[in-house]
Amino acid sequence: MNANTQNQSAVMSDTPKPVVKPSEIQVKNVSKSYGAGLFEKQVIKDCSFTIERNKLTVMIGPSGCGKSTLIRLLAGFEKPTAGTIELDGKRITGPGRDRLVVFQESALFPWMTTHDNIMYGPKARRENTKQNRGLAEYLLEKVGLSAFRAKYPPQLSGGMQRRAELARAMINNPDVMILDEPFRGLDCMSKELMWEYYSGLFEESHRTNFFVTTDIDEAIFLADRLLIMSNIPGQVRETIEVDLPRPRRLAFVFDDDRAIAVKMEALSILHKEAMKSFSGGSKAASDFVEAYSKRSAAAETAEQ
Amino acid sequence: MNQNQTADLLKRSMPFQTVPGEMLEAIAKLARYESYARGDVIYHQGDFADDVFIVSSGAVQHTLGIGFQATHPEKIVRSGGVFGWAAVLDNQRTRMAKTVCMERTELIRINGEELINFFKATPETGDIVMSRFATMINKEYTMPEEVAGHVPHFTQVPVTVATGLSLTMFRLSQWLKSPKPYLMMTGFGILLATWYLAVEVWKLPRFADMPGLTTVMKEWFSKDPVYGLSIWTPEYYQHIWVSVRRILIAFFLATVLGVPLGLFLGWSKTFREYVFPVFETLRPIPILAWVPLAIIMFQGSETPVIFLTFLASFYATALNTMLGVETIDESYSRAAACLGASKWQVFREVIVPGAMPFMFTGLQISIGVAWFSLVAGEMVAGEYGLGYVINTSYTMVRYPTIVIGMITLGIVGYVSSALVRMAGDYMMQWRVRELALGGR
Ligand SMILES: Nc1ncnc2c1ncn2[C@@H]1O[C@H](COP(=O)(O)OP(=O)(O)O)[C@@H](O)[C@H]1O
Ligand SMILES: [Mg+2]
Repeated sequence: MNANTQNQSAVMSDTPKPVVKPSEIQVKNVSKSYGAGLFEKQVIKDCSFTIERNKLTVMIGPSGCGKSTLIRLLAGFEKPTAGTIELDGKRITGPGRDRLVVFQESALFPWMTTHDNIMYGPKARRENTKQNRGLAEYLLEKVGLSAFRAKYPPQLSGGMQRRAELARAMINNPDVMILDEPFRGLDCMSKELMWEYYSGLFEESHRTNFFVTTDIDEAIFLADRLLIMSNIPGQVRETIEVDLPRPRRLAFVFDDDRAIAVKMEALSILHKEAMKSFSGGSKAASDFVEAYSKRSAAAETAEQ
Repeated sequence: MNQNQTADLLKRSMPFQTVPGEMLEAIAKLARYESYARGDVIYHQGDFADDVFIVSSGAVQHTLGIGFQATHPEKIVRSGGVFGWAAVLDNQRTRMAKTVCMERTELIRINGEELINFFKATPETGDIVMSRFATMINKEYTMPEEVAGHVPHFTQVPVTVATGLSLTMFRLSQWLKSPKPYLMMTGFGILLATWYLAVEVWKLPRFADMPGLTTVMKEWFSKDPVYGLSIWTPEYYQHIWVSVRRILIAFFLATVLGVPLGLFLGWSKTFREYVFPVFETLRPIPILAWVPLAIIMFQGSETPVIFLTFLASFYATALNTMLGVETIDESYSRAAACLGASKWQVFREVIVPGAMPFMFTGLQISIGVAWFSLVAGEMVAGEYGLGYVINTSYTMVRYPTIVIGMITLGIVGYVSSALVRMAGDYMMQWRVRELALGGR
């Protein structure tokens, strides 16, 4: 049945289009601590949210708030101290091929060419089929690396490496794709190109996507839903639906009033969280932050 | 902080992790210890970048200056963390950030220039350290790639190298262009001249019985050698062949057994806990101490010698392979597992190629110690071979032949090391490119 639909799509267009099975992930009251006793450090505390079907969910939060920790839990490499994570109602207990995770620190294998890196997933699962080889060519073309197929990763620029990483993940056609700061370290220009490029890929398949970032513009440009994290121990502080039309274009998105409103809202929450981390637990400082936020809230209502 | 503590700290920091022990101590000598109070500014943006810093304890806030693109313009560096790497960049020797101590902080600083000069003398290690700096710049500091391009590299390798053979040829041509061959010839010249003068001209007291340069050369190239061994006699080649054959067998066994053992030691924690203590207890025993047992354990004269040769090689190979596995970044295994690789596939496709660079370092050490223990073995238990030639020539007072044996040993040993190195170049083309560096 599955093979059948795949054949059909291959017949319908000559570029092999992946067939996506919509999935949903539910994170329920998850906590995670490291160490024990005196050295215990709580990184995530009673965190709940849903990564909705066919949507691009973006999580943004100050660095060190536990985003990468959460990703490791979603990947199944670590287990939550409390709470559960379910994929389509089934509890996640370990790594699985239904989710494809690109870790913050993950990198291409330096001992394989770009092409072999991209084909690694299919080969590892013994699916070195004609269809997958075709898909690899298609993706190489899509990420603009056809000419670099035989090069080794150290010979590629940072932007090229990121694109190759994306292609390496995408070829596996996972139900859910999870990415941890995949465009970190790129300069402004290539970053903006990557956003347009990545949201184009999403619009093509509407695969369930979860994307972690620290960059507010990136978050707003990409997101259907925006989750804002609290400071450590991490928790989802706020969910914002970003109902900007797709396909999105840079110029258009950043002139849009709705986009600017969302950005302001997100920034004020992030700012509050950042102030808390700055006060670093000192009573006087946190009192100050509270008084300050009350005053600015009062000023806002007065203005209206 | 004493030298050992400094070396330990270096070992914990990302760029120096893989540097061998004695080199770490040498680098530790370059380091200066300093402590700062809370609020002290270590440097401002725009200052001249002289030193690289490694935090021992405390916390340093690192704020990138305006004009430098970064996703995390601020970060906190703690124990084991490295900052101030602008000091090792080419043409980029100004501070790009401001650093302030957030609490009482102890750190060591190393002058960038001195570090680079140090690495010029040891280009292989230098490039590994520098490629780690480059990775750090790309990954942690999320700086534009162009900065990584300023990281110096020492072994000069063009990115267009296509095969291992052309790499070897390239190295050769680089070597010929460098002053090294002439320095080498001068070195040999001085050695030979000293030998000639000491023995044959000045006739120094303790050198009276020593065979002189001309005597040895005459004997070595003579068609009718006085003591029966020269390049014209078949026995000469028979001795060489017997030694080479022993080395081949022992090196082959050491590789075939040592590489898998090293891989498993590095890969499986449980296996390691069983085997490693035994391994570490046996390893420091000098090969000569094994001679009596080897003779008792094995029959004939051939097997004990091969066993002794094997033993030292085996330790070197296994240990370096194990270290190689340990240095592989865990993120590679994770990425592979996420892409659907089984545990066994991770081993074959990530651990094995990832450990390859250290493995070949191990094999080079291995071939060296193989010759060392071969000669020891042949002197005691051999019937043929270069070690045997040296030993019997001594007892039979054929002094020039001793020297012929020694020189031959040096040449054959050097050739075998070179062959292992070529094999390594051939099998690790990706590595060569990584060392070519910085994503260029
Ligand atoms: N294995 C671990 N052991 C102890 N602490 C950890 C571990 N992993 C992460 N942490 C801590 O959890 C916090 C959050 O880290 P991380 O999830 O990487 O944050 P983010 O990705 O949001 O920047 C950090 O303060 C870090 O020190
Ligand atoms: Mg992170």
